[in-house]
Amino acid sequence: MIDGVGNYVAGTLVVIGALFALTASIGLLRLPDIYTRMHAASKAGTVGSCLMLIGLAVHIGESATALRALAGVLFLLLTAPISAHLLAKAAYSAGYRMWGGSVSDDLGATVHSAKKNDPLVTDR
Amino acid sequence: MTGAAFLNMCANFALGAITISFLLVVVRVVKGPSLPDRILALDMLVAVAIGFIAVLGLRTGFTLYVDIAIALGLVGFLATVAFARFVMSGGADAKKEEAQEEQS
Amino acid sequence: MIPYRNELILALIWVAISGSYSIPNLVFGFAIGWIVLFLVRDQRLATRTVIRPWALLLLIGLFIKELLLSALRVARLVLSPRMDIKPGIFAYPLKVDRDFEITLLANLITLTPGTLSVDVSDDRRTLFVHGMDCSDPEQARRDISQGFERRILEAFR
Repeated sequence: MIDGVGNYVAGTLVVIGALFALTASIGLLRLPDIYTRMHAASKAGTVGSCLMLIGLAVHIGESATALRALAGVLFLLLTAPISAHLLAKAAYSAGYRMWGGSVSDDLGATVHSAKKNDPLVTDR
Repeated sequence: MTGAAFLNMCANFALGAITISFLLVVVRVVKGPSLPDRILALDMLVAVAIGFIAVLGLRTGFTLYVDIAIALGLVGFLATVAFARFVMSGGADAKKEEAQEEQS
Repeated sequence: MIPYRNELILALIWVAISGSYSIPNLVFGFAIGWIVLFLVRDQRLATRTVIRPWALLLLIGLFIKELLLSALRVARLVLSPRMDIKPGIFAYPLKVDRDFEITLLANLITLTPGTLSVDVSDDRRTLFVHGMDCSDPEQARRDISQGFERRILEAFR
């Protein structure tokens, strides 16, 4: 990597990433219910960590370690939506309700008929 | 200002911002109010920690930190999945928790 | 079709990440790749799919753009003094029908502005999406079907 430019790019990426992480955690505190908080955590949080890892990759410049950092980015991008999706599904099926200001709930109408077939929700 | 000085300043700023977000996330873990909220906050804590390790690695130039970040990502993902399965299989009582939330 | 294609790809990734470019290391990576793929042999996709590289690149480009946009939007919303949100869950009728396409679409939806996939109906025809701004579900459905779903269909059909 070119010494001068690499430093500036890496520094900028790291600062932007840290600011995204900060906004994600502010969102985690301010948003009203679990589903909206998940938006903040899964988007801004992931982008923040990814930008910081990319900044590290740019700064290192040695191919093996940089590739490892990029593999970390890829891994984060693959797993973040899966865990968010799973947690949302789990919270919904366990009966955590949405915030009172929510405007529509298409899933609510179907979930009761579906529950009979769900092996996890049995009347034991 | 030289590139190295700029980078050092950026890293210090980022470490400060990440520390504040650590604190905010921990407030959410303590406050709850429900179990999924805490799980989400712990997941977020892992993501922020990965960023923290990345900045630390950048500042010290110690490249082994990258492997630690990846391993932490793996463990955090598995923990979130396990917690989600726990909530889904009826380990948490949503009605009771919401009643407690209304009381407080 | 090259024999052991997937094992070779895994071996090359192993060599690139471990950082020592030598024949023994390549063989070692190949062995690990073979073991991993052997362990998941029952869960492998049965259907062979066509992949169009150019359309796939377009999909990746669209994804990166939308990801950055969505993070910016969440940041702006969170930092605005009065949060003006109308969250809700809307149903989205799926056009894609294969499992991996549904998975891909659901993951992409989760990482894009204002939407988060919550559940798939049992018959795999409906995706339930939680929207940050659910005042106009029709518009949100149009965005998904003309953005990601169209690109996924272009890349894998």
